[in-house]
Amino acid sequence: MLQAKHLKILLLAWTRLGLPSPLRPICDPRVLDRFIKEARDTEFAMRSCSEGCSLAEPLSVPLTSVDFAIWEKGDVSEPQKQAQEVQSGLWLLAQAISAVRVSITSTALHSLLDNSHSNIHSIGQVIRSLNFPEYTPPADGTVHEDTWRVSSTLELFRVHTNFLRGKVRLLLSHAPACRRDST
Amino acid sequence: MNPRSPPPTGSVSVECGKLQYSSHNWRGTQQRAVMCVCVCVCERERERETYLPRRRALCGGCGGSRALDSGGRCVCFSGTMSPVRALRRCVFLLLVCVRSVCALDSKASLLVAVEPEDPKCFAEGMRDLTCFWEEEGSRSPDDYAFTYMYQETNEESSKCALTAQSVGGSKTRYICRLPSVQHFVPLDVSVFQDGRLIYNRNLLIDHVFLLDPPANVTVTQTGEQEQLRVCWLPPALMDMENSMMYEVEYAPTGSHMGKRESVRARSEIILHSLQPDTRYNIRVRAKPDGLSYSGYWTAWAPWVSMTTPPAEMDLLILALCVVISLILILLSLTLLLSYRRFLLKKVWPVIPSPENKFDGLFSVYGGNFHEWLGVGNRGFWWSPTFLLVEESPSPLEVLSEAGFTAPVPVHPMPFKALGLSKKEVEEDERTGGQDSVLMGRRKGKAHPHWVLEQLQSLDQPSVPCCELHTLEPSDTYVSLNYRSQQDSGAMSPLADISEESLPLQVLFESPGTPTSFSDLESVTYSSGSGEISSQSSLEYPYGAWPLKGPSYISMTVTDSGISTDYSHMSWGTTGLGDLAMAYTNEYKNKVPAPRLPPHGHTVYSYY
Repeated sequence: MLQAKHLKILLLAWTRLGLPSPLRPICDPRVLDRFIKEARDTEFAMRSCSEGCSLAEPLSVPLTSVDFAIWEKGDVSEPQKQAQEVQSGLWLLAQAISAVRVSITSTALHSLLDNSHSNIHSIGQVIRSLNFPEYTPPADGTVHEDTWRVSSTLELFRVHTNFLRGKVRLLLSHAPACRRDST
Repeated sequence: MNPRSPPPTGSVSVECGKLQYSSHNWRGTQQRAVMCVCVCVCERERERETYLPRRRALCGGCGGSRALDSGGRCVCFSGTMSPVRALRRCVFLLLVCVRSVCALDSKASLLVAVEPEDPKCFAEGMRDLTCFWEEEGSRSPDDYAFTYMYQETNEESSKCALTAQSVGGSKTRYICRLPSVQHFVPLDVSVFQDGRLIYNRNLLIDHVFLLDPPANVTVTQTGEQEQLRVCWLPPALMDMENSMMYEVEYAPTGSHMGKRESVRARSEIILHSLQPDTRYNIRVRAKPDGLSYSGYWTAWAPWVSMTTPPAEMDLLILALCVVISLILILLSLTLLLSYRRFLLKKVWPVIPSPENKFDGLFSVYGGNFHEWLGVGNRGFWWSPTFLLVEESPSPLEVLSEAGFTAPVPVHPMPFKALGLSKKEVEEDERTGGQDSVLMGRRKGKAHPHWVLEQLQSLDQPSVPCCELHTLEPSDTYVSLNYRSQQDSGAMSPLADISEESLPLQVLFESPGTPTSFSDLESVTYSSGSGEISSQSSLEYPYGAWPLKGPSYISMTVTDSGISTDYSHMSWGTTGLGDLAMAYTNEYKNKVPAPRLPPHGHTVYSYY
């Protein structure tokens, strides 16, 4: 039986091995739009979740809020910081989804969870293709950035959707690699 | 009254008192006077001339009555004079109105209709949020408390400063403008009235966008038929350009049936299938597409008009039509020409001509049947008595049964001629009947009673059949042998004609000049074909002639018309052309060939 630990190792191995770089930059916004749409569907599905949807222990999730005034400044001065923030947040989410998958019994939701997990992995690849520095997840499981705690799967996936719509999307759409390509 | 024109006679100069405006307790009511004018006092109260507010004015005729000398009067109008009041208010608004206030008014009214929850919040840009609610009465905003809190922060909820605005008379609108906002995170909003919670709402700021309408909407012709291009500017917000969807409404001027088209992520659209040469009104509105950002439809942009290009006749189509019509005309002409004979026949039917039955009747004798029968000698034959006696003019069947003595050797005649002639004989029998008194022509008119003699002779008891085989040269009989009569001189024209034309000439010569049967055998005619027929006719009495009554007189005559069919008519070229021409008037179908073919073709080939 696949445990969370094994999943973690797998995910780490994936992220380590990954695809050979350099990748061609993935700048098409429709790629992320599709992921956002699927995340929204998963969030809507979680509203009907009845069993095992309340978590035993709260899970750490990234902050999703974006203050454009601050963000624009940060985009100019510290672009790498934003990438780090996004990548660590994705990692946290992946962790949380793996944890949730264990506790949920419904098979339909399992497929959605697996889909979300693979989407997160794909987004990581997209970020890597845009020549952002590689993210190494912390060995101890804690991240430097601020986190939030959620206690239900619905909240988790709400955060998941907001994170993709907000920070991830801003990062990708304002990536320098894409800006150089398009005029 | 036009100030420039000279005052009409009888006009009175009046002076209104001090003209007073605003803050005037007019007629004891609290209404504020909006406009005061100087008015003439006329004899009749109703007829009043009003002037623009001037203290001094010329008072002309009051309609019909006379202006009084007592002077003008100042008349003030109250606020119920709506156009003026509206104008003043608008001026005030223009001067005082701050952009946000004005915009808020329109947007608030838009939102009130769409959003059911309170407080109603909307974001106009990426860094603001405006929340408001409307209530009856006019309470001070201090009675209310507006608190908000973001989900991800552990801080206490923040408070927002409220401003009040009177709306539509009795209502008051309380507005909160957040100084800074955070997107992609739930916001919790609460409204308290006198410490009591009245509204609570949880919303995402990036889901409540209500932007300005698209700016700079331009409509141009594309150069194609029935098309117009509509362009506009997308909202100048960061990150929003790719997340917008637009709706374009267009309708012909004056029509109320507008059509709508949706556009995503592009800020121009080409409208298709429009009516040509029509003026269209077009307007646009926008909304975030709902994926990353969401919100409400903006207000409609102002109408923009443009006329579609007029419908033009495509040159290619015109050329094609011309070519096709030309082709059709050519085809019809070709058909007409190729079938003109057929068509002429249908339109002008052929009048059958008996020309081919009577050889030479028309060509040689010019239609004179008498001459044709016997060169003028047999005129009597057509005397009425004969006509009465005989019923049908054609096939003559005359058989003389009186005293055939000299047997005539039976010649092996060409069978076809025989066969044919047999047919003719039968025909003759049918038609001839008992009339067969036509004895052919007779030479001259010297024997008018010749026929009577014959009749009498036939009354005698019939001769047994066998005895009929003999023919006496002395008896009258019809034979086609006119050899003795052959006169090269006189007959030369006739020689060219078929012998049928003169079949009976021989027979009616004087008995003194009988023709010998021996001549029959060697009958030769200039027209060789006649030989056949003539000889065949002679066969009849010796052959299979059916027996008839003794009173039956039948004369063997081969009708020229019948036997002509298989005989070659060798037409000489002498005079035929002229003769042929003579009949062109009668027989239109006849080929009016001025020159007949040189080698004796049958002329009448068109039957």
